[in-house]
Amino acid sequence: MASGTKEEKKAKWSTDLVLDFYSKLLMEIWEIVSELIGEAIVELLFNLAVCKLREKHPFLASVKVSEEGISLEGIRQGGQPLTPTEIHRGFQTLVTHLFDLFSALAEGVVSRELFPKVFPKVKEAERMITQK
Amino acid sequence: MRFIVRKLNILRSAINAISTSFEFKEIVEAAGTNLPNLFDFVSFGVLWKDDWTIYLYEEASCPPGFTQEVVSNMTRVFSLLVAEPITKDQMTVHVEKREMGTRLVSPQATLKSYLTLPLAVEGEIIGCISLNSHQANAFEAQDLQFFSVIGYQMASTLKHFQRFSSVKNMAIYDTLTSLYNRRYLEERLGLEAQKSFRSGTPLALIMVDIDHFKKVNDTFGHTEGDKVLREISYLLKTSVRKKDVVARYGGEEFILILPEATREVSSIIAERIRRAIENTPFEVGNIRLKITVSLGVSHFPDDRPSSKEDLVRMADVALYDAKREGRNRVCVFQGAPSVEVAQG
Repeated sequence: MASGTKEEKKAKWSTDLVLDFYSKLLMEIWEIVSELIGEAIVELLFNLAVCKLREKHPFLASVKVSEEGISLEGIRQGGQPLTPTEIHRGFQTLVTHLFDLFSALAEGVVSRELFPKVFPKVKEAERMITQK
Repeated sequence: MRFIVRKLNILRSAINAISTSFEFKEIVEAAGTNLPNLFDFVSFGVLWKDDWTIYLYEEASCPPGFTQEVVSNMTRVFSLLVAEPITKDQMTVHVEKREMGTRLVSPQATLKSYLTLPLAVEGEIIGCISLNSHQANAFEAQDLQFFSVIGYQMASTLKHFQRFSSVKNMAIYDTLTSLYNRRYLEERLGLEAQKSFRSGTPLALIMVDIDHFKKVNDTFGHTEGDKVLREISYLLKTSVRKKDVVARYGGEEFILILPEATREVSSIIAERIRRAIENTPFEVGNIRLKITVSLGVSHFPDDRPSSKEDLVRMADVALYDAKREGRNRVCVFQGAPSVEVAQG
């Protein structure tokens, strides 16, 4: 029983950690891209990506997108029993989809700015999850 | 620094030109004229969802294959943005070719780089804009920043147009039949009459009244009556020439303005309408009903009207004669009494 509680604590900590990580990463993407194309269009593209993926990753529906940025508080407060891996996979798909959208709009122009800063962090997240 | 300041000044004048435009084509022209001073491109496109149109402002030497590629790419990106399958066949494409200085494009050129941005207002995507080049890596981050400013201004100006056009629509169209309303008819007739009286070009007026329409309303109710009005309106619209104006005058009465129509042409059109309605079975309250109309025609200069009111009065007299002579017929005003040209 005691070991179960310890596991739960570890899982909770990991979930929060993954959420913190993606919260920072998505804000970084937001800032880089909004500098290029403005907040209103970034908001539109983020919403578009979330809409597209929320069927496959329902927790993404709790992501709040506004002209001020992105908030993941809805996921934290939602009380959904999510594993860190589930969260990671959902956000990984979201980031990939955003990259696809940016490429479709402006070919390499956005990716050139974004890729060097964001890609190493996505790899870091993958490593963090697999080492869990 | 000086380079940036120069670019910002060009950007300001581009924005000013866009925001002071009065119609869609003017916005594209304003952007197209100013953008070559900001970006190195050979084709600038605007896709407007409202009427599924792509306007392209292109370097004169762009080959047709390149233009097609731009159209396909803009449609593909827009389809992705609105998450709907859209094909380029749905689009009406207008191409404006211009000499853009030294940017000569070879006949074999293909689309090598582009920037596309959604035109969005209050979260609604109303179109997209695109800069296109035959050279690889033609655009960089700063181009995207400047282009997005152009996009914001275009989107808000276009949104104004959309709002203005819906207010304008309410002011000039009859809500039941979607024909022009009486207010617009009077305004337009004033203009057409003024033009004709001054230049001597012919002008005809046809007044149409549905026979025994009160009976339809009394027997089948107003909903069925409204259905008949809509169907007859459709038949009127599809029986006239492109330049003719069809309006609901009130109740079951309609007026058609036929610019540059001789008396003979106006009689032919009136008779075509009479026959089209007579030969159309109307589904009213689960039964098939035969409905007819009476028509009165007046004409400038033949009837020598001295005002637009005269033209309307003369068409009304001719319509009264058509009713008096048994309905379902066309009467042409020729002093008193009018002459009947056809009957059912």
